[in-house]
Amino acid sequence: MADEAVERFLYREARLMDEHRYAEWLELWTDDGRYWVPCNEDDIDPTRQVSIIYDDRERLQQRVERLLSGSVLAQDPKPRMRRLVSNIEVAAATGGELTVESNFILGFVRGETQQIWAGRSVHRLRRDGQGFKIAHKKVMLINADQEMPLLQFLI
Amino acid sequence: MTAPSIDFTEMTRGGRVHGSLYCDPAVFQRELEAIWYKVWVYVGHDSEVPEPGDYVRRQIGLQPVLMLRGDDGRIRVFYNRCRHRGNLVCHRDQGSAKTIVCPYHGWTYARSGELLEPTFEGGYDDNLAREDFGLMPVARLDSYRGLVFASLSPEGVSLDQHLGPVKEFLDLIFDLSPVGQIDLKTGVQKLRYKGNWKFLPENSLEGDYHGPFIHRIAFELHGRRTGLDMSSLYANEIPDVIRSLPGGHMVEDYRGATMAPPKRQPTPARQAYVAAMEKAYGAEKARQLLSTIPPLVYVFPNLMYLMTHFRRVQPVAVDETFVYYQPMFLKGVPAEINEARLREHEFGFGPAGLISPDDIEIMERNQKGVEARGNEWQFIGRGLHRTKYLPDGGSAGYTMDENHLRGMWQHYGRLMSAAGAAPAGR
Repeated sequence: MADEAVERFLYREARLMDEHRYAEWLELWTDDGRYWVPCNEDDIDPTRQVSIIYDDRERLQQRVERLLSGSVLAQDPKPRMRRLVSNIEVAAATGGELTVESNFILGFVRGETQQIWAGRSVHRLRRDGQGFKIAHKKVMLINADQEMPLLQFLI
Repeated sequence: MTAPSIDFTEMTRGGRVHGSLYCDPAVFQRELEAIWYKVWVYVGHDSEVPEPGDYVRRQIGLQPVLMLRGDDGRIRVFYNRCRHRGNLVCHRDQGSAKTIVCPYHGWTYARSGELLEPTFEGGYDDNLAREDFGLMPVARLDSYRGLVFASLSPEGVSLDQHLGPVKEFLDLIFDLSPVGQIDLKTGVQKLRYKGNWKFLPENSLEGDYHGPFIHRIAFELHGRRTGLDMSSLYANEIPDVIRSLPGGHMVEDYRGATMAPPKRQPTPARQAYVAAMEKAYGAEKARQLLSTIPPLVYVFPNLMYLMTHFRRVQPVAVDETFVYYQPMFLKGVPAEINEARLREHEFGFGPAGLISPDDIEIMERNQKGVEARGNEWQFIGRGLHRTKYLPDGGSAGYTMDENHLRGMWQHYGRLMSAAGAAPAGR
């Protein structure tokens, strides 16, 4: 059974992503945060193999800035999205950080297209006052080695 | 191949192209025979299969093939089809194999393609000649600087002739490595879009025209991060940037557009890289290679180099295409240089990048647009009045001109109009 506060944090993160609340989502991150979506396989060396996303804080900020600019074509119109986050397990707790694993399934509708995205997330959450901040988030998509449509939203 | 009922020359003449070429299923079928199963098609780079037994699975048109390195070190490309009853002999995207074993009835092939044994051999006629049942090689195979091309037609121009002057531009890319070699075993970003395959080369080689409209924010962020100012490219159009080459190839040649050096101090890795380049090529050529944007290149029909990566186009249907992005690593440079190239690539490209997804979205909308039949001609006439035609059959135009598109379409029209040749690959 995962800590209730951890669950609440992941649910809130999911809601912010679903509702395109990018600025609030960015506030969830530490200044040294790393957002990683590996490509092809879950366990690649990101210094030798290409990822789908490998953002440090500066990149994350730029990603969000672009999404907020209103000039992302794949966000015009914005997709409607709702995701379920489940199977939450605290895998490790060291120092001020928790490693939390979870699964998600995401329904996505835009124009005449409906897509289902799914995967497993590993968050490293750092205690921050009463709550947490995301120090590291790795998202392993089940279709990471397939020809995929655009991923122009937060996952 | 039967004579075409459509006048492809007329449909690609002058400054216009007919929209049905993107959405008519009959056109797509003809492209398979007249282009994909005939001309030289890029399959992969030799660095993807470094060791004997290494393979990658690819497609030429709609036909499955595999590129395999043999024990003799040679790379071969075979139809991915067991000679017994036609199963895929290789169903993984990539890997390494001691022998190629068909999973259906166990027929086993050497890494050079020869049949080693049909299983339960006792049941076969003693006169069955194994050498008649090796994996079927493609009709023609050749390579340039490790880029492996195949043609399913036994006849046609040599690869050297097909590439022609585009080799000079490929050289500029490979020479970004002080040892002149690259590595493409860097993973593959895979994308799909609902649109015709020809939209991709058209879109990929004209960032200067559509850049200010669909990439404005991405270019702004890129400039802020790297210290490179892209706006100088739009402020003044430069002659001879947009090149059409014989063979349908297209190039954006920026040798005449030296960029202001980045504002940031070079890192120690960058300094070591520059030093290695100067040692390899001399100060003048090294400076030229490193101070200009490398050319953007399209090798007809399915290979591109753009900024960070090689890109493969894979037609699926008249209105569906797969795209593969493989970041280019340079050999003989500090690891940090290649890691920075990787980060640069992810910033712009792939399904979650900040640049190319806008292109993908615009191509999907384009596919819908060309279904409108009011006037089916699209206009690709920018710079028609000032095009510089070159003796080799190519042309040169200004930064935002469309002479390269005209060249590609005219080449396409010639291929699609050619009648009489036997259907290749079958």
